[in-house]
Amino acid sequence: MLQPSYAECLDEDPDHTGLDDASLVRRIAGAGTAGGEAEAELYRRLSPRVRFYGLRHLRDEQAAADLVQQVLMMTLERVRAGKLRRPEMLASFVLGTCRMVVLDLRRTYARRERLLTTFGEDVPLADPSSSPRLDHDRLLHCLDRLPEREKSVLVLTFYDDRAAAEVAGELGISEANVRVIRHRGLQRLRDCVTRGGTS
Amino acid sequence: MTTTRCAEPIAFSMLIDYWLGELGQAEETRVEEHLLGCGACTASAQQLADVAQGIRTLFTQGFVSAVVSDAFLERAASHGLRLREYAVPMGGSVQCTVGPDDDLLVTRLEAALDGVEQVDMLMLDTHGKGVERVRDIPFNAATGQVVMSPRTAAIRTLSAHTAQIRLLAIDREGERVIGEYTFHHSPWRSS
Repeated sequence: MLQPSYAECLDEDPDHTGLDDASLVRRIAGAGTAGGEAEAELYRRLSPRVRFYGLRHLRDEQAAADLVQQVLMMTLERVRAGKLRRPEMLASFVLGTCRMVVLDLRRTYARRERLLTTFGEDVPLADPSSSPRLDHDRLLHCLDRLPEREKSVLVLTFYDDRAAAEVAGELGISEANVRVIRHRGLQRLRDCVTRGGTS
Repeated sequence: MTTTRCAEPIAFSMLIDYWLGELGQAEETRVEEHLLGCGACTASAQQLADVAQGIRTLFTQGFVSAVVSDAFLERAASHGLRLREYAVPMGGSVQCTVGPDDDLLVTRLEAALDGVEQVDMLMLDTHGKGVERVRDIPFNAATGQVVMSPRTAAIRTLSAHTAQIRLLAIDREGERVIGEYTFHHSPWRSS
């Protein structure tokens, strides 16, 4: 059975945003060099997901941005060439690619750290600050309204992303207690911040 | 799967556990595979990451007060934060200030905490009048002190004044004072 041409697909459904990920992959695979808009849609969808994965594993905005660029380039190349044989497994493929690229990035950054340690004083540092995605005035207002226990647990946790067991040891309370306080505090914060709107 | 809504969203508590690396390997893989296939759940997870980053930023810039711990302060110092610490014995006082290069003020309030169930902190102004009561602060009785970082950014702007903190032990019989501490604050003076 012949697959519909890219042009026929567009006639039927010009808006790629209505397709699920697997259908989008199939459309790109069949489009050859004409699949620009479908590729842009796939990029738009995958970019925040891969970025979040990067933030979780690399804990750095710039590193996460590097991850997005590399992973999406590799993914789009594969999809374009029709080599993603099971489009329903796109997320699984992207996960495997993320893991591989993270390992590579960690090696790269480790080398860079060693160089900076040796020659760092001669290198002008880029400003690491970026505009916050969240309204910090609102977040501060909401943090100030939290019960003290919840605020302390959240500060001790998220200053450098500590697990409950570690925070529990520092405060002299049980790990289960920390998890309950943490969850409650975050829930309150999230509700307060979203009530006020985010930037 | 569309990006607008998820039929089986990942629970918020699981997103927190995932972000902090508290899931087992198999569960972590399951969550990651779901997130990479779901824009809606990724958006929720990103909101969590943004809140975490916001807390970190606001605290290190001195806008948030919190009871902390020795281990926490060691980590903060190892990350390059400049701490100005004041240890105050029960009934004691201290001359204090905040320098322009100080990132965080830290106060260590010595207190007899054994057997105490709940501690409230009462802030008093120059005239001994209570201006703020912070209820049920966390404390580690084994350390014999309450370690806290006040709102450094706000204190930096204050003119010379005296302030007091009173720690109260709360139990079924009522409340009793377990420590009073006096701070004589002066604005920073460069030498």
